[in-house]
Amino acid sequence: MNPYVLTIFLLSLGLGTTLTFASSHWLLAWMGLEINTLAIIPLMAQQHHPRAVEATTKYFLTQATAAAVILFATTLNAWSTGEWAIHQMSSPATITIIMLALSLKLGLAPTHFWLPEVLQGLNLTTGLILSTWQKLAPFALLLQISPALNSHLLITIGLLSTFVGGWGGLNQTQLRKILAYSSIAHLGWMVMIVKFAPSLTLLSLLIYILMTTTAFLTFKTLSSTTMNILATSWTKTPVITALAALALLSLGGLPPLTGFMPKWLILQELVKQQLPLLATLAALSALLSLYFYLRLCYAMALTSSPNTLTALLPWRLTQNTNPLLLSATSMFSLMLLPLTPTIMTLLTY
Amino acid sequence: MTPVHFSFTSTFILGLMGLAFHRTHLLSALLCLEGMMLSLFIALSLWTLQLEATAYSAAPMLLLAFSACEASVGLALLVATARTHGTDHLQSLNLLQC
Repeated sequence: MNPYVLTIFLLSLGLGTTLTFASSHWLLAWMGLEINTLAIIPLMAQQHHPRAVEATTKYFLTQATAAAVILFATTLNAWSTGEWAIHQMSSPATITIIMLALSLKLGLAPTHFWLPEVLQGLNLTTGLILSTWQKLAPFALLLQISPALNSHLLITIGLLSTFVGGWGGLNQTQLRKILAYSSIAHLGWMVMIVKFAPSLTLLSLLIYILMTTTAFLTFKTLSSTTMNILATSWTKTPVITALAALALLSLGGLPPLTGFMPKWLILQELVKQQLPLLATLAALSALLSLYFYLRLCYAMALTSSPNTLTALLPWRLTQNTNPLLLSATSMFSLMLLPLTPTIMTLLTY
Repeated sequence: MTPVHFSFTSTFILGLMGLAFHRTHLLSALLCLEGMMLSLFIALSLWTLQLEATAYSAAPMLLLAFSACEASVGLALLVATARTHGTDHLQSLNLLQC
């Protein structure tokens, strides 16, 4: 793509999210969401490939519908109360409709079907943008309306998302679909807690973004989109492969790694809120996700694929890509657990 | 619920139902989206007129501008889909499911 055009699209992507962050008026927030959607669509469809175009069409239809429903709910609210501010939503019906529209936008459980298909049709860089940066604006809105939300709705959506994310990923061999289901499960954890402790939602979102960035950048470095390619990746980049296995376990939430932190704090908060059954179910649903991360690790690190000798010992070419972002996010996604109190202090408001 | 309120609410909901349940052509999905946006335009402009809120008189135009951008992106995607899939049937968008 022409670099000037690409710059314009990336800048408008930033502008959309910033506009939603900065707005206290629903119309402006809606404009931010629309700018976001419109800016990423050319990036998604830049290869004129049938799968890319199909993914773009599906993404456009869902996002446009969700944005229109958000604006509809706020217009109804303005007709009945005359209020446009995001903080002062009082009508429960409006807030419920907005929550459902936001869950369509984020890809939460009852409305998650578009996310794996859309992610499967994109290249890994655009997929990275889609599963990190595009989540920020809806989450900003969700955090702002969260005090007025019904906690039963949030718990239902959250628990359903964690289970669907776990179950859906079990049968996949495509890495991008696995990452999409992992995104659904992680977002389910975040939505479950948003009413009780918004700071924990922010923490989970931050750490999820770090871990997903690591996963996507690793797969991009290895240029792998299926599990088969991962099986021979140790011959090309042994260190990245070893770290990638650990990063996947961190996504699954195993204790010495960073991914354990949000799960631990969320379970503690749920128990503190007198919801031990919900905490148990959430912890059990994490096992489903852990199964497919473990299977990826198994294919990556614990097996040697039955290839010929020339395929197992290829000439290692020097990589031209800048490894700074990948190394930084790998370290963050492996070693942030001792910094839990500091991060919690930063994010508590 | 006033008649105005009822009419734009039912227009929007009909458009949404059409988008959600009538899944034959991409063009009809785009038309349903456009209908939803137009009902929102009517709602916003009537709200501005009824409350005589001068500060909000730009809001319906902004909404219309954004919905025009959205419609043009939808039509561009319609052309792209027709070129890659050979048709605009939503049933034929099945390369990615498995």
